[in-house]
Amino acid sequence: MRLLPEPAGRIEGGRVEFEGQDLIELDESEMRELRGKEIAMIFQDPMTSLNPVLTIEEQMVETIKAHKKITGSDARARAIELLSMVGIPQPEQRLRNFPHQFSGGMRQRVMIAMALALEPKLLIADEPTTALDVTIQAQVLELLSRLAADHGTAVILITHDLGVVAGMTRRTNVMYAGFVVESATTAELFAQPSHPYTVGLLHSMPRLDAQPGEPLIPIEGTPPDLRFAPVGCPFAPRCAWRVESCWRGMPPLEPLQPTTEVHMTGSGATHRCACWNRPTAEEASAGRPLRAGFTAAPEPIGAGR
Amino acid sequence: MTTPVLPAQAAGAPAQASATPLVSVEGLRMYFEITSGVLLSRHVGDIRAVDGIDLSIEKGETVGLVGESGCGKSTVGRTILRLYRPTAGRVVFDGQDITYAEGSTLRAVRRRMQMIFQDPYASLNPRMTAAGIVSEPMEIHNFASGRERRERVRDLLATVGLDPDYGDRYPHEFSGGQRQRIGVARALALHPDLIVADEPISALDVSIQAQIINLLERLQGEFGLTYLFIAHDLSVVRHISDRIAVMYLGKIVELTGSRALYERPLHPYSVALLSAVPIPDPAVEGRRRRIILTGDVPSPSNPPNGCRFHTRCWLRERLGNPDRCVAEEPVLREMTAGHAVACHFAEEVDGTAEQVQVTGRPGSGTPRAAAGPTPAAAGSMAGEAAGFPAAAPAAPASPEGDRPRLRKRS
Ligand SMILES: Nc1ncnc2c1ncn2[C@@H]1O[C@H](COP(=O)(O)OP(=O)(O)OP(=O)(O)O)[C@@H](O)[C@H]1O
Ligand code: SF4
Ligand code: SF4
Ligand SMILES: [Mg+2]
Repeated sequence: MRLLPEPAGRIEGGRVEFEGQDLIELDESEMRELRGKEIAMIFQDPMTSLNPVLTIEEQMVETIKAHKKITGSDARARAIELLSMVGIPQPEQRLRNFPHQFSGGMRQRVMIAMALALEPKLLIADEPTTALDVTIQAQVLELLSRLAADHGTAVILITHDLGVVAGMTRRTNVMYAGFVVESATTAELFAQPSHPYTVGLLHSMPRLDAQPGEPLIPIEGTPPDLRFAPVGCPFAPRCAWRVESCWRGMPPLEPLQPTTEVHMTGSGATHRCACWNRPTAEEASAGRPLRAGFTAAPEPIGAGR
Repeated sequence: MTTPVLPAQAAGAPAQASATPLVSVEGLRMYFEITSGVLLSRHVGDIRAVDGIDLSIEKGETVGLVGESGCGKSTVGRTILRLYRPTAGRVVFDGQDITYAEGSTLRAVRRRMQMIFQDPYASLNPRMTAAGIVSEPMEIHNFASGRERRERVRDLLATVGLDPDYGDRYPHEFSGGQRQRIGVARALALHPDLIVADEPISALDVSIQAQIINLLERLQGEFGLTYLFIAHDLSVVRHISDRIAVMYLGKIVELTGSRALYERPLHPYSVALLSAVPIPDPAVEGRRRRIILTGDVPSPSNPPNGCRFHTRCWLRERLGNPDRCVAEEPVLREMTAGHAVACHFAEEVDGTAEQVQVTGRPGSGTPRAAAGPTPAAAGSMAGEAAGFPAAAPAAPASPEGDRPRLRKRS
């Protein structure tokens, strides 16, 4: 989205392609045109993107008119339509309200309505339900998946909740310390988790359907400090599977099975994983290394992490 | 008005049938006044945060408290600790009525009850060292002194998995998980009997939540602690609790063993709440159907008449909106041993597709969740978001064959 202020955040390199066009090459006004119209974003806290001193009507009409040449009254009619689409009762009256007069779940639905106002091709939802109760989360997620299905919108869902991933997505990229460490269709990722971090996450959270008393296997250590670039694998300090080479070189994201062709998208996306010493299927289901006598390789002296 | 306090009979509850529960609460009400006016504030209403609950906690037991934001969970915990003076009802701690206890009496019981807070950042004094934070309760209560106290601080830090030599560091020098450990060490300082843990892991990175859960479980075994565990995350509450109380708008609507709550929820609200919790397994998620509650949670200052859930209840709608739900408030009644529910029509919940679908497993004598009709507004949660067709839902033949492949047990 190129929303990070410089110089605090800058794009160091690489490409971000949207419909074949490299977004990094675009100038600010071209990018602004794309944002909202083609790509929209919703955030964890809707209050950060709703203006507290303007009514919902003012904000929605402004957004709609900024991208579409239509009259104020048409924009208003569209706003009402969008609000009822996201399940806000009495949308004509609610348009006159300010954001603080809505509950958290309703504000998130207003945000979704605004994001959808311009029928974007891509919707980036950054922890859209993290601040909400599960019952309200269910409302919002149901709304998101219904709207995406009806309009053919592609969605990038950013979340730390593996349950939400399992229920909502087709394909998953697991990230650790700024790197994609595992990438697969969601069905395959859960059927055959292959990176120690993915395995660790699955075993460290209790599942609603677990037998009471099943022990959790925590991930040891603390989350990574992103100020320091890791020398080897970024997960090495916390990893139960690490071998000596993990401290030295960053493992590449590679297909699990040797293959001639790597598919990046779609239902046949190739299952890839960045790890020197992948857990076996039995180890993944046990949540710990099972090889006789195996212990995680200690940090080499003077590695200077 | 009040129902008898229910005994702990659920599976997994500690075996010792102690005569007195450690905590027992009867008809507890905690209202907060709403006032208006700048100069002369007038009392214009009440937030009925907790509105008549009965609950007992046996020694060594863990009771979980779940429900949506604002339903009164924290207020229950804080009122039991007597951080508030209850509006009505009774709070009994280890046989002693502390409802209106004050001064030295209150201080004496407070020593035996401690709290662990949600936010390890906000709950620790940034200007005190870890050792200072842990020893402060001992200073306040004149517990140990000098060398003995310093030794105890080191022991406590080690007990919660911190390096005792880090005692002279300040909170900002620790990670979130380590700060929560400091909070736990502080709570343990006075050898408490009861610990009220209010969302103790919700502010932590997912990768370290299990460290704290395991720590709390280990400490319970080591020190014979009794926990009131408050959280909105049902999976976590279910993992750690022997029994669970589900709250809705200041009332307990269901109280049962944590196994029974998942396998046989009997209150329409519990069913909806459970159905909304995502399970990290696409095969299971593909079979589950959510009950989407419409509308928002009503205000606790003006709760609905009769059953407070009637404005959002799927069962009531199913039954043709019976008047009884609006006219008469359902009391918590014991349906089977140790399983209490506050719904006039709880019998009707048993065996419904909604109840069965919560688990994503076929129930006895009920059509398969995946095959049966889905409740209104359910629809597939396997978001048709990405631009390729839905994977065919898993259609396993046997109930055992469809167990998620990745189980927590080896
Ligand atoms: N000290 C207080 N003064 C006034 N109102 C209060 C106070 N504490 C809580 N309330 C109100 O009482 C109700 C219950 O609050 P409580 O904090 O117990 O809910 P909760 O279930 O713990 O919610 P959450 O999950 O958001 O922590 C809410 O409406 C809240 O606004
Ligand atoms: S085994 Fe090595 S490469 Fe793989 S995650 Fe662990 S530390 Fe990283
Ligand atoms: S008493 Fe009526 S409204 Fe309340 S939960 Fe039962 S069926 Fe629903
Ligand atoms: Mg609370």
